Amino acid sequence: MAISTRQKLNMRESTLGRRAFLVSGTAMAMLPVMGLGVRAQDMTPVDGGILRLAFSADPAGMDPALGPSGMSHVVIEQIYSTLMSLDPDAQPYPDLAESFEVSTDGMQYTFMLRKGVKFHNGDDLTAEDVKFTFDRLRAPDSGYAYDSQVATIKDITAVDPHTVRFDLTAPTGPFLTYMAFPGSSIVPKKLLEGGHDLNAQPIGSGPFKFISYQPRSMITFEKNAEFYEAGKPHFDGLEMHLIADVTALTNAVLSGTVNFSNEIPPKDWQTVIATPGISGQTLEGSRFYWLLPNHDRAPMDDQKVRQAIAHAIDRTAIVAGTFFGQATPILGGVIPQWNWAYANLDYFAPRGDVEKAKALLVEAGFPDGFETSLTMASSFPAMVSMAPIIQANLAAIGIKATIDTMEIPRYWDEIWAPSKFDMTAMYWVSPLADPDDFVYNNYHSGTALNVQKSSDLAMDEILVKAKSGTSQEARKQDYLKQQEMSLEQMPIVPLVNAWLLIAHTDKLKNYKPMRSGFLKTIKDAWLEA
Amino acid sequence: MGRLIATRLAAFILTLFAASVVLFMTISVLPGSAAKSALGMEATPQAIARFEAQRGLDRPLVVQYGGWLTKTLSGDFGTSFQNSVPVGPELLKRIPVTLELATLAFLIANLVAVPLGILAAARHTKRSDKATTFVATVFGAVPNFWLATLLIMVFSLHLRWLPPGGFTPFSQDPIQNLKQMIMPALSLGLVSSALLIRIMRASMIEVLSSDYIRTAHAKGATETIVIRRHALRNSLIPYMNVAAVEFGFLFGSAVVIEDIFRLPGVGSLVLVGIINRDFPVLLASALTITVFVLVVNLIVDLGVGLLDPRRIKGSRA
Repeated sequence: MAISTRQKLNMRESTLGRRAFLVSGTAMAMLPVMGLGVRAQDMTPVDGGILRLAFSADPAGMDPALGPSGMSHVVIEQIYSTLMSLDPDAQPYPDLAESFEVSTDGMQYTFMLRKGVKFHNGDDLTAEDVKFTFDRLRAPDSGYAYDSQVATIKDITAVDPHTVRFDLTAPTGPFLTYMAFPGSSIVPKKLLEGGHDLNAQPIGSGPFKFISYQPRSMITFEKNAEFYEAGKPHFDGLEMHLIADVTALTNAVLSGTVNFSNEIPPKDWQTVIATPGISGQTLEGSRFYWLLPNHDRAPMDDQKVRQAIAHAIDRTAIVAGTFFGQATPILGGVIPQWNWAYANLDYFAPRGDVEKAKALLVEAGFPDGFETSLTMASSFPAMVSMAPIIQANLAAIGIKATIDTMEIPRYWDEIWAPSKFDMTAMYWVSPLADPDDFVYNNYHSGTALNVQKSSDLAMDEILVKAKSGTSQEARKQDYLKQQEMSLEQMPIVPLVNAWLLIAHTDKLKNYKPMRSGFLKTIKDAWLEA
Repeated sequence: MGRLIATRLAAFILTLFAASVVLFMTISVLPGSAAKSALGMEATPQAIARFEAQRGLDRPLVVQYGGWLTKTLSGDFGTSFQNSVPVGPELLKRIPVTLELATLAFLIANLVAVPLGILAAARHTKRSDKATTFVATVFGAVPNFWLATLLIMVFSLHLRWLPPGGFTPFSQDPIQNLKQMIMPALSLGLVSSALLIRIMRASMIEVLSSDYIRTAHAKGATETIVIRRHALRNSLIPYMNVAAVEFGFLFGSAVVIEDIFRLPGVGSLVLVGIINRDFPVLLASALTITVFVLVVNLIVDLGVGLLDPRRIKGSRA
């Protein structure tokens, strides 16, 4: 959802640029296997060059414990390292850890660390640094925005310099994924105990060293020649150009001022990929757009009314009108097809079902509809764009919705935080690409994101059970139940999953976009001479 | 003379103090919470309370103002709510960028306004006068951000002559610096020239109708000589008064233009401060622009006072 925190991370399948070659997820997934279009010389790494990337937001800090925004994480993952990492399909694999063991009851994880890893200041990275990192995140006054990820850690033991053990209070299904989260980046204990400020001068053990940050302008990095993956990274450095205005961002890509962006606005997508020298890739990740009916206000407190609204929406119109085709309509559960917990629930008609929606309104006691309002944050162009579509869809079943818009600081303050709306819309981008992260914060009662004020004990229980499952199959069954319940109760109305739109120079090779939306794989890519 | 300077300086300080009060109060009562803007959608009541307590936002407004003023007078502009970067050093890095932009825009505005103004006055009521007035009207009617977008489309995206944005210090690469500066400076300068063309024209018309100009003509001087040697200098006095004030406004007009062209100046800092309700950033950058405008006005006031023959005469008496 949105916003500052998890903002830039999504994706759908993908494809190649200029030829506007859009393919289905299955077909795309097969491309690497088939080796289509890959020339042998493309796979010979070339060292050197600076990759110039464009982003619309500034980082809100560069200390893993205190950097709550999506852009912070994009910066942090280049500077620091994590015990685990996510591959392009969001599967965790050992990174700083060479290997790991999990006890059969899922209550203990032991990580064996790589030897010889050094922080950018030359200090060795040891198990003590790992313990210090997570103790720091778990401290009561840490201010860590993702404290729920470390809430089940009971104790951390540095068994020896290269072995660290985590004891948990309860089985935690996404634990390995949490260990791959940028917030879980390992920080240098010795330096921090000496009072070093990681926000001012971040020091990690990642592929790039931080050089400078000028707010609203640029962040620069140089290659970490001592990086533990031999031969990587291939670039001499990175420049992250911070371009808040999306039109200026597109212009920077079109003119070649920057040669990489994963934030191309959908309206500019066709223009960008038709530009000589630029390639495009799209990928479905987890950028879910939702309509939020306020359960504290009648008649949105009526399940049938919410169902009627959900069935009235023409999701293909939103995909076409708001995202210029670069999104997937959510026709059942939120968990996308590429994820292991996908449930294949066929619930909504892509263009909406007016008759069914009207029938539900009649059952709810509103045969003539009712009047309501739709309040959107004007700083999100997609919200403003989809508002009239939703308004027209609702009008077709007799619901007369007025549209209000508000700039984002006022929206957070006056609409979102106090839940003062009939209906609003928001998006959620999951940087973890774990089903728990797709649904927990939005459906569980009492969370900061549950501004629709939905509350159901059975829903809460299934979410907790699914999260603490010790096998993927067991968790999958729980998420199937959770999604069925969510469609029945309809606490929030799923709309579409917007794709990640990535444009880069033709000369960029071996870049694999990640469904999590992160840029960890930049270290594997290079610029053709 | 000393009294003039003392009076103007006292007015400067009083105005600056009043401006600081207005700025602080206006920014403080802006709708939208700084804490919620910084913390985003996942802001819990506890996190908001902690954020506000750490930054003193839970104290009465007058106390907040007193604290801010004391720190500012000691040179401490605080740190950004959004990224914890100290604001003072950041401002120091950005002032030269905005100053360069404003100076280049000022040069362009004058290079356009002076010749066109003279031409219009010399050809008063003729076609070239009407054409110049039309050009001034167009420049005055065009929003600078629209002109900026147009310039980018033509010179960056179509012709590919100039980069669409970014900044390289002049000391590092003068050519690249000018390539990056020319479009933003044109966007500001051409729009600013609209007023200056009219002032130059009006001033020149007035001078050209003076007795001593008629005398010069009667003595057989050519039009060019009359304008160059006799009219131009006198007509520039009122023009320069307005132009100097315009320079101050150019410094403050850079807000949107800097954002469009990605220039890391003071103006773009104002914008980000407003969007994020980042009060330390917004206060410091807005105050910097205020100080600049006031300083330019002070210099103009003192300059005019010093050049006023009556005052010069009076001070000699």
